[in-house]
Order: sequence, then structure tokens, then C-alpha cells
Amino acid sequence: MKTIILISKDNILIGTFKSLLENFYNIVVFSTIQSAIEFIYNSIPNLLVIDTEPNDFITIDILNTLKGDPIFTHLPVLIIIENHKKINIVGTIAADDFIVKSDVLTELKTRIELCISRVERIVEINPLTRLPGNISINKQIQNRLDSGIIFAVAYADLDHFKPFNDYYGFSRGDDVIKMTGRVILNTVKHYQPEGSFVGHIGGDDFIYLMDIDKVEEATKSIISSFNTIIATFYEESDRENGFIKSFDREGNERVYPIMGLSIGIATNKKRTFRHFGEMTGIASEMKKVAKNSSTVKYMIDRRQA
Amino acid sequence: MPGIDKQKLRFKVENTQNLPTIPATLKNILNFLENSSISINKISDFISKDPVLTMKVLKMINSPVYGFPGRISSVNQAVLLLGLNVIKGMLLGVSVFELMQKAMTGLWEHSLGCAALSNLLAKKKGLKSPEDVTIAGLLHDIGKVLLAVNIPELYEKLIAATDKHGFTILEEENAVLGVNHAEVGSWIAKKWNFPNQLIEIIQFHHEAHKAKTANLECCIVHLSDVLIRAKGFGFAGDHFVPEVNQHAWDNIGLSEGDIKELLINMEESLEDYEELGA
Repeated sequence: MKTIILISKDNILIGTFKSLLENFYNIVVFSTIQSAIEFIYNSIPNLLVIDTEPNDFITIDILNTLKGDPIFTHLPVLIIIENHKKINIVGTIAADDFIVKSDVLTELKTRIELCISRVERIVEINPLTRLPGNISINKQIQNRLDSGIIFAVAYADLDHFKPFNDYYGFSRGDDVIKMTGRVILNTVKHYQPEGSFVGHIGGDDFIYLMDIDKVEEATKSIISSFNTIIATFYEESDRENGFIKSFDREGNERVYPIMGLSIGIATNKKRTFRHFGEMTGIASEMKKVAKNSSTVKYMIDRRQA
Repeated sequence: MPGIDKQKLRFKVENTQNLPTIPATLKNILNFLENSSISINKISDFISKDPVLTMKVLKMINSPVYGFPGRISSVNQAVLLLGLNVIKGMLLGVSVFELMQKAMTGLWEHSLGCAALSNLLAKKKGLKSPEDVTIAGLLHDIGKVLLAVNIPELYEKLIAATDKHGFTILEEENAVLGVNHAEVGSWIAKKWNFPNQLIEIIQFHHEAHKAKTANLECCIVHLSDVLIRAKGFGFAGDHFVPEVNQHAWDNIGLSEGDIKELLINMEESLEDYEELGA
């Protein structure tokens, strides 16, 4: 159950609040933000609702400090204001939405649902690709495992990305990452519009979850699309050579071919995984096999556990 | 008639919000959107047979929002990167020319013919990415679309006057506007961050010797433009056949046999396109 913290001294409001929401959320009430802060630090709630006075500078100050920390930036805050009292929210209070007290009875539940779902949508996306990151990836895998769904996890990363980044600069490297994210997302959604998932672990590592019967075809298509597009990210002379010269970790000059994608795939068809980490581990192992192979670009685990 | 203010026209062109297409395309879009299982290749094929849809796709993929400015000139790659949802959304917003439908349908045919010939020539010359040259052939006259959209009454008169004056549309534009469709096309191509090669071909398709980074490609589009006019396929804005640029002719270096072969292949590849006016 999601947790909502309500900060209020108004007993009528607290009563209404509880009667509207108690069946859907875990409600924790504090009379001041000072008393709530330790609770918040120890277990981030899903929403903070503050019934505040216009000139309650202490509350505003504490709230703004709290939201200034990256860990709490995404904690949604809904402000409840007195009827007809004008209070300047934008630019002074780190709030995400407000509601007037007289509307609480009719609108509160919807506002709260919107506030929470908005954050769930934007939370933890990679700023470069706008794809969800590790927390969502792990959650997506774990949820499927817990509900006994049979599915495939594909783990993709780029070959020779680092020398490309060193050679052309990180800005062009970023463009390649964005391109890769788009190609994976669009292809996965094309082959399986519903129930699939694409995440960006970070750097040049991506994860996608699909049904087992669709994953191989989508993977082939991702690799071939990537290969046609990647050439446009190289200067013409390098493209013609088919390689760039860059330095390895020891500082020796080496020749690096045009980048490719290596993809490893794990499924829970013949194995049982309890924890998401076990499954991504197998996918990562398969990816290494694909990477070291000179003939295949993807590898599906078909071993029996 | 005094020339019009070039700066003002440029501003207007660069801020064109809505590029309409011809009725035949809209009809096909509606059929397309009803069919929920369209493959990426099919939709790419469809888009790359319409200059305005191609412009819209290249505008999006080269915009800072998607983050690949100046890089993508292939419709297929653009569709892969944008995704079908974005493409469907774009198609839903497409409108149709209210004025000059007949002239524009003729221009579409001319553009498609030029694209088909550019494709044949690019393959004949062994170019590595014939699709880029094909797209350039399709878009070479996009400046005419922008003029038709931004100064419709004037441009309609201008087209009508070519026969009387014995001018090509290019000469007529230069005389009346003080600027021509090649330059106008390059304005929008630059504004929309198109790849340099594409900008250059649009800008210099009547002066192929001036193209620097993509000279052979530009020569190919120029020659295709003239040949398709000579063939009488479509309508480019006047009823004349301009001279072939000497540099372009020498640079492509076709033999008599090549030309015969080209004309035969041209007939075949144009057969698909005759239906636009219907």
C-alpha cells in the first residue's frame, strides 16, 4: 500500500482526509513538518500533503530544503490552502500541485492519484534516452518473476563504444546512445506493443523484456537497424576505412571496427529465477558469449537449470 | 511588378507551420491509418513517395528534440528512430492544398519521376547510398511547394505567365521575385537542420557545378530533373525543357548505350506512379 503523509492541525480536514482515502492508502498524520521529517528521511512516502498557512515560513523552508536533496526531488508535494486566501506557490514553495480546502471533499482523491501517477511516470528516467533506469528495470523483472510470467530478458550493449567516444568526443557518443535507445524502443514496441518493456541501465547498456516468441525476431531487427544507422555517425573517411584508430586502456594505439551491438537473452522457460539479479546475470553471461563470438551478434540461453 | 521583400519572404518560409500534400496522398493516409498492422518498411516506402511527408519526417528527426541534427537523410532510418506512434501522429495532422491542386499534383509527379531517375543513376554510378540521392531527387523542388504555400496567389500567376513570357519557372521566379525555388528550398532545409549534402543538392540543382560536398549527387539530380521534363512526365511549373548543365553531363559521363538503358528502366519505374491525379 502506498503511503501518504498529511501534515495538518485541522481536525476536520484530517477526518475528511482519512475517510476519503483510508481504504486506498496508508495515511500517516503529523501536526507539523518538523515532526514528520524524521519519518520521511527513514521511509520516503509516495506523497506529502501539507495543509499550510500563507506565512508559515518554517514549513516552507524545511520543505524546500528537503526537496533540494536529489533523493527527495521526486517526492510529490500537494499543498492544501485555505479558501480564498491567495498564496504565492510558484517559485516560493517546492510544491507540485495545490488544492483549495473547499474542494477537498470533491477533488482530493483525484488530485492525489494524479500527483502520484505523474511522479511514477517521470521518476528515474535516463536524461539522455528518457528511458527508465535500474530501479524500474529491476522492478519490472521482479514483478514478472513474482507473478510467474514466462518471458525473456535481453541485455544489449555496444561493441567498441569507448574508443568511439574518445575519438569523436562524448557529445557524439551521447548521440549514438540516444539512437540506440530509440531503435531498441521502437523495434520492441513494434513487435510487441503490449507487455514489453525497455530500460536504460546506463552508459551503453540496455535491457528489454519481451514475450519469448517475439524476442528473437525483434533482436535480429534491432541489430540490423542499428547496423544501417550507425555508419552515419562516422566521418566519411572513417566509414570508408571501416575502422577508427584510438587508444586502449594501456594507451596503445589500436584499430577499432565500426560499432556493433551484442545482445544476450535469458528466459525463465526452463529455469526458475527467484531474484531479478539471477536472470540479468544469465543475460549478461550470454551477452559476453555473443561479444566474443565472430559469427553471432546475439545469444539465447537454452540451458536447463 | 516590383520584386518582393526577400527578407520577409525568407522569414515567412522559415516559419512555415503547415505543409499540405495532394489529395491522393491524403486518401492513402486514411487507408493506411485504418490498417493497424503496418510494417516499418511499408510505411517508409509510403512516406518516401511523397515530398511533403518526407519533409515532415526529416524535419522531426533532424530537430533538437530527437537529437540527431544534420545526420539523417534516409526515410527508413528516420522512421526507425521516430517510431510508428510518432509517425502515425504526424500522419493524422496532414492537410491538403486548397489552391493549385492540379499544379501541385503535377509537381508531385515531376518530383517522383526525378526521384526514380536519380535512383537509377545513383545505382548506375555505383554510389554507396542511392537512397540519399533518391530523397534529394524527391525534394529538389520543395522550394516550389513553399512558394505555393506562402504566396499562393502570386505563385499561381507566376506559373500561368511562363507560357506567355517564354520563361522557365526558374527564370520567371528570378524576374518577379528576385529569388528562386532552389534558394527558397535551401532556406527551409537549413532551418530544419537537414544534412549538408541534401541542402546543397536542393540549393544547386540548377547549377550543379557549384556543389562542393556532393557534386556527383547534385549532377545526378540535375540531369534527372531535365530528363524527366524532357520525357513530359509530371509538371514542374512550365512547359519547357531547360539545358543540361555541361559540367553535370561531363561529370556523369553517360554513353549512348547508358542512355538507352536508362530510358528503358525509367519507363518501368515510372509505371507505378501514373495514378496520382486519379
